[in-house]
Amino acid sequence: MKKEKVTCKEVMRHICDTLGEDLQSDRCEDIRKHLEECSGCQNYFKTVEITIDYYKKYNVKLPDGAHERLMKFLDLEDCD
Amino acid sequence: MDDKELILKAQQGDKKALARLVKEYEQTIYNFAFKICRDKNKAEHIMQETFYSFVKSLHQFDGKSKLSTWLYRIVSNHCLMLARKMKNRPFVSMDDDDGLFEEKYAVDWTTLPYKSAENEELKKILDNAISKLSPEYRMVFLLRDVEGLSTEETAQVTELSVPAVKSRLHRARAFLRKELNEAFQG
Repeated sequence: MKKEKVTCKEVMRHICDTLGEDLQSDRCEDIRKHLEECSGCQNYFKTVEITIDYYKKYNVKLPDGAHERLMKFLDLEDCD
Repeated sequence: MDDKELILKAQQGDKKALARLVKEYEQTIYNFAFKICRDKNKAEHIMQETFYSFVKSLHQFDGKSKLSTWLYRIVSNHCLMLARKMKNRPFVSMDDDDGLFEEKYAVDWTTLPYKSAENEELKKILDNAISKLSPEYRMVFLLRDVEGLSTEETAQVTELSVPAVKSRLHRARAFLRKELNEAFQG
């Protein structure tokens, strides 16, 4: 039986599943090959990584006084 | 003194050891709560409730999992409880994810002016995109991809099966990427 050609949609799904890891099986080998040759899918992969990176770097600091309020709330202000 | 020693001392009633544990994890817990609820006041409230639950149940902690995993579990529960109280907020449905993999706009992300996540305009875009996800999807994405827990640890924290974690993660990644792509298109 003829193997079906890998589509961009399948590659995109795979990227969201594994972020490019776990490319061992026969089908994954086809996906890896597609990814090497398709600039659209390469771009998709990069932008998924950037999306995750943006959220990783978006952090907030504890507001002023929040630590003291927490210690008081827990009745631990004498132990600080 | 490491976490294990501090926990043991805290379990024996040493309040200074307990205070040190709280201080060590307060920033992580606050940051995570903010990332789920996207509101500073709510995040502080959740942080307080999380540590209150932590203190109350400390005697039950058996050290089989990491303390951080245990705290993520408590904070996740408090975030979900708060989200369920505000249940009139509509979230995007993830039942059919086919549309997530269709590109409507070709945007070159390399030309974007956002070099860091400190950019206020980018923060708004990020807030807006993740707010459309239900807290259950947000939780999995943040625990696994942002906080760096393993898939198994994420499953443990969220009380989901590993395949359920993978499925939610896959959709959340695709959804957020699509939302950002559309926002960048302007």
